[in-house]
Parts: sequence; C-alpha cells; structure tokens
Amino acid sequence: MRQLVVLGCPGQRRVELFTAAARAAGLPAPAVLPWSELLRGRYELQPGAVVRIDSPGEDPEADRLLRGPALGAGYAATRVEGGPAWYAGLTAALRELASRPGVRLLGDPAEIAVMFDKRRTHALLAAAGVPVPPALDGEPVGGYRELRERLAAAGLHRVFLKPAHGSSASGVVALEFGPRGQVQATTSVELTPAGLFNSLTVRRYRSTAEVAELVDRLAPEGLHVERWVPKAGQGGRSADLRVVVIGGRATHVVVRTSRHPMTNLHLGGQRGETELVRAAAGDAWPRLLATAEAAAECFPASPMVGVDLLPVSGWRRALVGEVNAFGDLLPNLTGLPDGPAAGLDTYAAQLRSPAYAEVAHRPDAHRPDAHRQGRGELREAEGERPRDRADEGQLHVDATWR
Amino acid sequence: MAISRHIEEFHGLPVTDFRAAADDGKLPQPAATAWRIALDYDDEIGFAEVWERFLETVAVEQVTAVVIGSWFTDEPDTLTEPLAAVLASADRLPALRALFVGDITYEQCEISWLQMCDVTAVLETFPALEELVVRGASGDWDGAGGLALKPVKHERLKALRFEAGGLPGAVVRSVAASDFPALEKLELWLGVGNYGGDWTMEDLAPFLSGANLPALRHLGLQNAEQQDRIAALAAQAPIVPRLTGLALSMGALTDEGAAALLEGQPLTHLKTLDLHHHYLTEGMQQRLREALPGVELDLSDQEDPNDNWRYVAISE
Repeated sequence: MRQLVVLGCPGQRRVELFTAAARAAGLPAPAVLPWSELLRGRYELQPGAVVRIDSPGEDPEADRLLRGPALGAGYAATRVEGGPAWYAGLTAALRELASRPGVRLLGDPAEIAVMFDKRRTHALLAAAGVPVPPALDGEPVGGYRELRERLAAAGLHRVFLKPAHGSSASGVVALEFGPRGQVQATTSVELTPAGLFNSLTVRRYRSTAEVAELVDRLAPEGLHVERWVPKAGQGGRSADLRVVVIGGRATHVVVRTSRHPMTNLHLGGQRGETELVRAAAGDAWPRLLATAEAAAECFPASPMVGVDLLPVSGWRRALVGEVNAFGDLLPNLTGLPDGPAAGLDTYAAQLRSPAYAEVAHRPDAHRPDAHRQGRGELREAEGERPRDRADEGQLHVDATWR
Repeated sequence: MAISRHIEEFHGLPVTDFRAAADDGKLPQPAATAWRIALDYDDEIGFAEVWERFLETVAVEQVTAVVIGSWFTDEPDTLTEPLAAVLASADRLPALRALFVGDITYEQCEISWLQMCDVTAVLETFPALEELVVRGASGDWDGAGGLALKPVKHERLKALRFEAGGLPGAVVRSVAASDFPALEKLELWLGVGNYGGDWTMEDLAPFLSGANLPALRHLGLQNAEQQDRIAALAAQAPIVPRLTGLALSMGALTDEGAAALLEGQPLTHLKTLDLHHHYLTEGMQQRLREALPGVELDLSDQEDPNDNWRYVAISE
C-alpha cells in the first residue's frame, strides 16, 4: 500500500481529526509532513508517497516563514498584510512538492493557486457560468479614490472588498455608500499606525478619512471587489452556507449565521439550522447543492473543496462567494442524510471518496474497533451498502459516489 | 444592531412573498395573507411591473394587507414612483386595511438610507386603512425628498408606526397635529440626529398629554439616545393612566430613567411595559420586576450599563 502523508500542522485540529478518521476506518495513522518543513525545503518522502494537502493555517511557524520576510519587524500573526508573500511562498512550495519524483498529491497546486486568488476564482467561476456576484473587473484597484470612481461608474453602492489572497475574513470589508455621501465600512480589521490587524471584533468605520486609509492600505496587496448581494437570513441573522463537495458531490452543509455581514465563526458567527434552510428553500434545495457542485467542477483535480454559498431571494437560489481549498474543518458535522457521506464527518467521507481509493486500502477490514470508533453512524452507513462491504480490503470506496 | 429579518407576520396575517408563491404555483387565499410585493436585488424589471402582475394575478379586491418590500434593485432609488403606483390602484383594493412600507433588511439597504417621500397620500387615498407602518426617512441622492407627512385627518386608522434611524421632527409634529380619532397604537422610532432625527422633546409633548388622541391605548416613544428624559416625562404624563401598553425600548435607557419611572405615577395598570435594549443594572431590573408584578415587562437585550458609549438599537 502506498504511504499516506498529510501536509499540515502536527498536533493541530485538522491533522488530529483526519488521523482519527483514518484510525476509525482501520487505516494506519498517516505520516505528517509539517508545513514549516516543507517551506524550508527540508523533507524527504518515501517514493510513492501520496500526500494529502491540508492548510498551513494552524502552524504559526509556517506563517512566519511565509509573511515574516515581507513584514519584517512589523510581523505579527494578526497582521492583515503580507498576503502576496504568503501566496507566493505557498504556491512555490506546493509546486516544488509536486515536482518530487514519485510523489502523488491529493490536491492540485495549480487549482489551489486559483482558489487562493479570489480574483482568479471569480473569473473562472463566471466563465463557467457558475452564479457569482458581479465584480469589478479590469486592472487592480489602486486606492480609495480610484475605487470610488470605479464603483460609481459601475453603479455599485454596496460591495465586499476581499484581499485577493486572504482567508478567514482577514481584511474583508463590507463597504456601502449612502444617499447623502455617507460611507460605512464594516470589518474586523483594526486600523493602527503600525498597520492593519485582524481582530475578533467587527467594527464600523464611518469617516471618509478612515475608510480611505483602510482601502489605501489594503489595495496594494490586491483586492477583489464584488457586489454585496443581500443574503437571506435565519432567525434574524445574516446567513450563508458552507457546502463541502467531495468527489463532485455536495456531502456536508453547514449554515452559518451572524448579526454581521460576515458570518465567520471566530467573528461571532454561529452554526444555524440546516433543516430550517431546507424548509425555507423548499423545491430550490437541490438547486443550491447543484450550484456548489458546479463550482467544484471548476476544480476537477481537487478531491474536496469548501464552497461558500450566498443565499439570495429568500433561499431560492444562491451565488458562490468563495471556494476554499481547505474548507473541511467542520468538526462533528455529519454528511447529508440523503448523500454518500450520511453519518460521516468530512474527513471520514474523504477517506471513502474515490480520490482516496489508492491509500484507503484497509489491511484488516474487520477489525472490530474500526466499527466502534466509527460511532454507529459508520456502521449504519455501511449497512446500507452491502455490496461495498463484501469488497474485501477496500474501505468502502463507493463506486457510485457520483 | 440593524434590521436583519423580513417581517413574517403583519396585521395578524402571515406574510407571503407574492412572486415566490406565484413561481411555486402556491398562491394562498387573497384575504388569508399579507402580500409582500418586492423586487429582487438583480431584477431587470421595476416595481411597477411586479405590482401590476400582482393586480392581475391575485383577486386583489379581497386583499386586506400589503407589505411593500424593496422597490429598487442594484441602485437604491426613492419611494416616490413605486408609492404612486400603489396609490393609483387604490380603487382596486377596497378591502385593504393594512400597509407596511419598507420591509427591507440591512443586507439590502441600511434603514437610514432608505429614500423616502411624502406619505400623506397613503392616508388620504385609503380612508379605510387601519394599520400603517413606514420604515425609513432619508432623502434621495440629490438631497431632495425624504420622509414627509402633512397633518391629516383619518377616521379609521388604529395603528401607526414610523421606524427610522432618525425621524424628522417635522414628521413627528405632523403626527401630533393630525386628527386620528380611532388611533389606539402609536409607535415612533425616534432615532438619532446623525441620521436625520431632528425631533425635540417639545415635539413629544402632545403624545404624552394625549389630549388629541382619544382612543390611544399603546404609546411607543422608542429608539432614542434621550430615552432617560423620555422616561422621566412619561413618569408624569397625563396619557399614561389610560394606556395598556408603554414602550420606552430600543434606546439608551439607564438606571436614571428607570428610577424616574419608579418614582412617578403608578404603572401597575399596564399590561405591557417594553424596555428591551436598555442599559439597566441587574439591581434596577430587579426593582422594576418587584414594583410591577402584574405587568408584562420586557427587559431583554441588556446592553452594558458600564459602557460609556450608549447606542440606540436602530440607527444606521
């Protein structure tokens, strides 16, 4: 069997959860290649290793290696700036990894590079006919004055500014202009003389001077500017959907709600009720999932993507806000009951998906603790697939996944 | 805080979005629902066209309640023309008893940026109207327009609410100068000066006296930074003994205002006292509960009493 390696951050949640899922499935614990080692270029891989690419986000050292040189003495983990350096370092390291002879990647450096450039992602989705909010196209925005002019020319009064290489709402600004020249920016960015810092508090800037400074500092690192579409809500809170698409199928859905326009959990967002969304969407529910799957289709070499859907028109349709290469950190969330990952968390589902067939070879298919750790749900799911079960030695890689 | 939820019930009826229901082929009985007529953010058609479709599709002569949602798409626009379209079809809506103007969330447009117009004609054109809610107050991109009301006489209106991040003093004065012999429930979200709320304490005096509001049973003077002063006035106000409901909520009410309420005239006759979104200490909340045992007291949404910055619930 080929060795499974996880590129990630040892001891952190993503690696731990994936390892637990592998163990529960009766597989050996995967080896871990720390992101910081990858970035330093000091690593060896067994010939034939299969590498699952996970996020560098939980590795403080990786962040310092990626952004430290660009930010110099001003470096801090909470700094917003440094996106281009982070992006260049990350993509170069993945390309180098891909070039190692005999190494096979679960994930594609080129596609990951697109997903970590919101402008390219938007363009790719739009070209494929996937619904996305209208965006400013053309040359990058140079600063606030230019942004105002271009928004006015485009008739846009409410937009999201997203750092092209940002993640987790870092640097994201919801910007709106009122009828009497008012401007209002809603963001978790703290504007200080020492730079821009991510905070856990969503705040509002209402003076032109502050908003201009904010935009002028964000713009040089690349901004994606798209219309703030009015999201549907749940229980009086703004809502969006994270849809995990594994092997082309929308398997996991989480509703995220917030009193702020950005729904990220670290900014006070909460998990909402998926059942209420299904009820609100009614006949449109399959269309919402199909939209997420259509977005994922633009990344055919990615075994898993996390698609952020912006529900509009009272949950009757959705636009794609983002596609996340590492969008599967959703602990304790089991798959849609009518999908191929029913009862499985995102990691167990990936292990069962076609992309993992080669490494999800289970030497001891009937080890009892594999079932016990699978918490009954796994057993139940297996029970529905008697033919897979007879498929000795394979971890129920579902031939009918699609 | 901001308005983040579409209304789901109005005039005692569930709200149905007309276009969603029409698309699904599931139109309810005309009188069994409040009909929401609204544009989607990326519509190519205008409000008048959707309104016309509503008139043609539903037996509107039976419709009792209408909710006007967003009347604009990408580019916010004034209410003037959409409202004119509604008023022009008044003769086709003989059963209309309730109208909600502006069921719009902050995801669509901030309340204080909704571009409003003179709404006097609503009351003039629908003499049988019993309930009117108007949300928003701003002028247009050129600084023209804005929410306006001329003093008006209306025999049937029972419930009136203006929701604003800043309610113009002229509108407050016109409400006071109007003749509403049947008005039982009046709610004013007063808001703040920064968002156009240039009302004054003197403007509120007629409501606290109630001399010109013979049927009034519920008074809401809400969403004000000066909520303490309003509470102190309410504590002595001649109208209060005949009220069943009093709302001093959504504002910057502190222990000072609540103490004034406790020291003033009796409030134990009230069915409801709405103080939600307040800056009261736990101790003061307890005093209120003990002093008003039979009153349904809404003390939800406590803000930090020690916060030096005190905000109203709805401003921008």
